[in-house]
Amino acid sequence: MNTDDDVKQFVTGVVSLQKDPSRAVVIAISHDAVFDLKEEQEPKAPAAASGVLNPGPGFPFVKAVQRVNEKLVEKNPNETLLFDVILLSSKDRPKSQSEVANSIKHYGLEITRLCFCNNENFTSVLRSNKVKLFLSTNTDYITKAQDTGVPAALLYGQRGTATLDQLRVLFIGDSLGFSEDTTDRPKDEDTGEDQLQSVQLTQSSLEDLVALIGEMRRKFGRENSPLCACLMTVCSPRNVCVRALKRLRAWGLEVDEAFCLAGAPQSRLLAHIQPHILYDHGLQYTLDVPALS
Amino acid sequence: MSDMKEAESAGELKGEEEKDWAEAKAFFDSLKSKKPRPPKPRYAVTIAVSSRTLFDMTSERKIFKQQGLEKYVAHQQEHEDEPLKPGAAFPFVKAVMSVNARLRALYPDSEELFDIVLMTNNHAQVGVRLINSINHYDLTIERFCMTGGKSPIGYLKAYMTNLYLSKDSKKVQEAIGEGIAAAIMFTPDMEVELSDTQLRVAFDGDAVLFSDESEIIVKQHGLDTFFEHEKRFENKPLAQGPLKCFLEALGKLQRKFYAKNERLNCPIRTYLVTARSAASSGARVLKTLRSWGLEIDEALFLAGAPKGPLLQKIRPHIFFDDQMFHIEGAMELGTISAHVPYGIGQKYNRGKLIEENPQKQ
Repeated sequence: MNTDDDVKQFVTGVVSLQKDPSRAVVIAISHDAVFDLKEEQEPKAPAAASGVLNPGPGFPFVKAVQRVNEKLVEKNPNETLLFDVILLSSKDRPKSQSEVANSIKHYGLEITRLCFCNNENFTSVLRSNKVKLFLSTNTDYITKAQDTGVPAALLYGQRGTATLDQLRVLFIGDSLGFSEDTTDRPKDEDTGEDQLQSVQLTQSSLEDLVALIGEMRRKFGRENSPLCACLMTVCSPRNVCVRALKRLRAWGLEVDEAFCLAGAPQSRLLAHIQPHILYDHGLQYTLDVPALS
Repeated sequence: MSDMKEAESAGELKGEEEKDWAEAKAFFDSLKSKKPRPPKPRYAVTIAVSSRTLFDMTSERKIFKQQGLEKYVAHQQEHEDEPLKPGAAFPFVKAVMSVNARLRALYPDSEELFDIVLMTNNHAQVGVRLINSINHYDLTIERFCMTGGKSPIGYLKAYMTNLYLSKDSKKVQEAIGEGIAAAIMFTPDMEVELSDTQLRVAFDGDAVLFSDESEIIVKQHGLDTFFEHEKRFENKPLAQGPLKCFLEALGKLQRKFYAKNERLNCPIRTYLVTARSAASSGARVLKTLRSWGLEIDEALFLAGAPKGPLLQKIRPHIFFDDQMFHIEGAMELGTISAHVPYGIGQKYNRGKLIEENPQKQ
């Protein structure tokens, strides 16, 4: 493995709450999801200050994650189970790198690492950084990450409407709720051997991730939690939703909100639920979800 | 309100909806168990029921009030596999299900059906017991929203709800304010045997099907002025009230039976039970309904007599009224009643104006 490509740039001057990197729940997010890169599109609004980028669709997520960390540390100043957000960037835009570092400091974001990668090695970068969850607005990257066993989710949300007060994570449960021995399962489809393996690989990392989120969630009460887990089934009957709920519970996470759509229009509901991130393995059910405003 | 479903079909949104719908249809059609699939929300008559109206949760509610949320959720989880007892809306839901069975038999491919959605404020963990209970009674409720404490109002709209039943007056008022027909359900004092082949829905007139404009005249100027006014404006339709759209939705389904020559055997029957009198103020009401193109199967003018005994004969699965006085009277004699907190009637109790700020000693 060529480690040259895996260069980390540490952002100086940022206060981090991390006590123990081995316990951190690392979330990788593409830097162009967190900030609006001026070179890519016409600026939609004047820049916040010179050399500073405007917030992108992933910005509310980062702020909400930060609040969870703050609340965790409030409860226990020695807390080691915290989120650790790292940004992914490609090397070939040096100008934007300094803008990103400036912007991180300007907005007071708790991000200490910017990792470089390209299309080819990005999944190995994820693994070497022990990334537990990869977030993107790009469905190709999400699928790529999932195929190599890293849980990956869609960044959802419209600029300006997502809440900063509570981190809202939504799991699409249709595939989580299937069971071999019931009548609520669709007739067997041909699943390739590779596909089966990748599903199993991601499933065990998903279990780990869910267990960690569940552990964090339990540190707060049922009400006024800075972290909220939601479950939604899109086209399945009610019992599939309940089985998905029980499965998540068995993995260590008690979801707060649950929605069984059974074919009711998804986008209306999602627009109301307003999750920051949407986990759907294989993106089977949410391919058309509008991720950006 | 019936226009709401039509108005919200911008081209792109409709395309997405079709896709969501097609996926679910394909899924349900492929299931080994031949479960009836829920209808397309755009065409369905959607009834949202809260957990406390569907099931009897009085003792659980007590735990919540006395011991707090955490103990309440823990209790529900411990008893997850014990089905809850039926609540006030249960007979209504069962009757709706039997109408659906008749509709499916006559129109196998139609999406114009009732759709029942469980709309609860409860946390998802409590939801397991609710779904287990739904399974126990084999109710056809496939859609649900467990909002974990957040207001259900936005979700009501997202599901294109035609009627919302809850025990929580604040939520019901909010729903009415947003143009959704809604009512607060009450459990009657005695149990009465209801038809299991015909859904019977009874409505009060003023401030339920119609606006409270005439109600205001009675309260502020007395009965004589009211009679004069109604006679004078007999041919001017009353403005619509919060439950008008629901009556309209019922009418749409009734006509499907008529089209198949099932008028005499129609499994939906509607009643108007009004304190108005046929002789003096009744005409305006009938003319208003006619102008709206709506039919009501039986119009009963009580001329001020108590509604309880008459309702006892009708045995509706639900009776909507805006005045608690009538709700109480109905419940005493076993009628399942639903209070519509709308209009001037809310400011009065048994004919007397409720003081806003009662004097303290």
